[in-house]
Amino acid sequence: MNSTIVGTKQGVSPWRVVLYVTLIVFAIFYLLPLFVMLVTSFKTLDEIRLGNILAFPSEWTTEPWVKAWGNACVGLTCEGIKGYFWNSIKMVVPAVLLSTLMGALNGYVLTKWRFPGHKWVFGLMLFGCFIPFQIVLIPMSQVLGFFGLAGTTAGLIFVHVVYGLGFTTLFFRNYYEAFPTELVKAAMIDGASFLGIFWRILLPSSGPIIVVTIIWQFTNVWNDFLFGASFAAGEGAPMTVALNNLVNSSTGVKEYNVDMAAAMFAALPTLLVYIVAGRYFVRGLMAGSVKG
Amino acid sequence: MSSLEIRDVRKSYGAAHILKGINIGINSGDFLVLVGPSGCGKSTLLNMIAGLDTITSGELLIDGKVMNDVHPSQRDIAMVFQSYALYPNMSVEKNISFGLEMRKMPKAEIDKRVADVSQMLQIQPLLKRKPSQLSGGQRQRVAMGRALVREPKIFLFDEPLSNLDAKLRVDMRTEIKKLHQRLGSTIVYVTHDQIEAMTLATKIAIMKAGVLQQLGSPDEVYNAPANMFVASFMGSPSMNLIPSKLVMQDGKLTASVKLKSGQELFLPLAENAAYNAWQGKEVILGLRPEAITDPGSAEATSKLLHQADVLIDVVEPTGADIYARMELNGQDTVGRMRANCGAIAKQNAPVTFNMQQAVLFDPKTEERIS
Repeated sequence: MNSTIVGTKQGVSPWRVVLYVTLIVFAIFYLLPLFVMLVTSFKTLDEIRLGNILAFPSEWTTEPWVKAWGNACVGLTCEGIKGYFWNSIKMVVPAVLLSTLMGALNGYVLTKWRFPGHKWVFGLMLFGCFIPFQIVLIPMSQVLGFFGLAGTTAGLIFVHVVYGLGFTTLFFRNYYEAFPTELVKAAMIDGASFLGIFWRILLPSSGPIIVVTIIWQFTNVWNDFLFGASFAAGEGAPMTVALNNLVNSSTGVKEYNVDMAAAMFAALPTLLVYIVAGRYFVRGLMAGSVKG
Repeated sequence: MSSLEIRDVRKSYGAAHILKGINIGINSGDFLVLVGPSGCGKSTLLNMIAGLDTITSGELLIDGKVMNDVHPSQRDIAMVFQSYALYPNMSVEKNISFGLEMRKMPKAEIDKRVADVSQMLQIQPLLKRKPSQLSGGQRQRVAMGRALVREPKIFLFDEPLSNLDAKLRVDMRTEIKKLHQRLGSTIVYVTHDQIEAMTLATKIAIMKAGVLQQLGSPDEVYNAPANMFVASFMGSPSMNLIPSKLVMQDGKLTASVKLKSGQELFLPLAENAAYNAWQGKEVILGLRPEAITDPGSAEATSKLLHQADVLIDVVEPTGADIYARMELNGQDTVGRMRANCGAIAKQNAPVTFNMQQAVLFDPKTEERIS
């Protein structure tokens, strides 16, 4: 935390002013869409039609939020997005936990229990990170059909776990690579088993990388549209697919405020995760880069 | 407490042979120190005893039982690592009790043992702390406590003092020695520091390039080194190795040494039948610095003293002693003298050679002639 290095000179230099003004302008630029979404979601339809999208609502209303949550029409049913929101939760929580746990196990084996060809296995898993979503759609639907998981939340969880495994393994392998092997040896002599060492020694020391992996997986799985649209239809669809359907369902009037409120609902969980765990994210990404 | 036997143990990685047939046997209560330059295979051997490394061929026995394929946790050993390897997520107390917990020992017994060990090592005030809140010396103690609490048959130490500063290292060395004397435990200790080896061991195994050079008590290793490597590795400053020729002088076998002045000294040798065959041949004369000293410091009991005036090149004071450098047969040689013996650089000084301590080496094989 060496903020003193920058601020050694007293007073404000012109360079500093230019720097801050530029930064503030960029920040505003990036925050503008969020601002428009928020104010629009609190406006009445009549006010939106006036066309002043940057203005604050003259009359604040929470009705679009209530409607989006409870009784907006998604396709043919008009029960809001709440069901789909829970669909997403039911999908994202197991998918994130499973892929994180399995990535940690993979990282543990690939660094501390090396076997002949471990480099190849890791190389292939890395390769898996670069496979575009679209390529796996058809083979994956065949696999899901084979297992009888087609069109279910369980199937969607399976897809996300498999797809996330490459990334989570990469994260944990690199983290455990720097983890002292002597600790594993000491635990072995102390009589801890393969899983005992993992649970009692490695996982409790993996806080930062667990947070990084959870944030990464949570945002990816929650924001995914393609797998959701392809493998979970109708009632089982996740939030992102439902949002698309809600925006595209035409029941006469285009309700921009309801659309915006629904979009905010869709964005809230990822926002929350970043705000709560964000500082660990940076800490975790930097872990191992400097000593101590 | 128990015995350890290593029978013709080898380790190879493909064509690379790390250990080339090691034979070591120690009894219960022995303190074995494996010492040698880095890369000599001493840590590999220790890891093999611990079961952390596989044995390519040969046998490893603890208490007469073959341990080659026994899991580390079943060998009844405890190890202290160079990096201490304390579990960062656990308190000191948990670190110490972890091994007992894994062995499903009753809680009351665990508590009692942890209390005993922390009392012995004086770490009771640290029990609730995390390893990151400890100093180097404290971590070292906790790591030892973790091994002691298990009451294993054999303790293994892997360069445990090398991460400590010089003063603390000496203190901990004494403490380990005291601990060994009090508990009478069997210990295998790896180090590259020959002073640690000399001070701690009851038996020293000197290794080089995967081959055991000599196994013996500190006294044997120091005074009767098996070869020139052992002679120069043990002791500081190391033994002087002077090329010399054995000649008969007044009916007695002597080693001839030429001084810078051109004068030739005939240093008498102890009676040894093996030396006779070397009459008239080139040998390497090994003399410890303390065997080349001022007349006042020479051992009065030694019958083989030879005195001469020698030109001193350099004087290096260390406080208690001075190291006087001179040239013998063109070889830079160190003698150890009293600080007030009056030796001055670039001047002649009386020097006594204590030939009772001399050893001879075959210049070709580098083995000791005996």
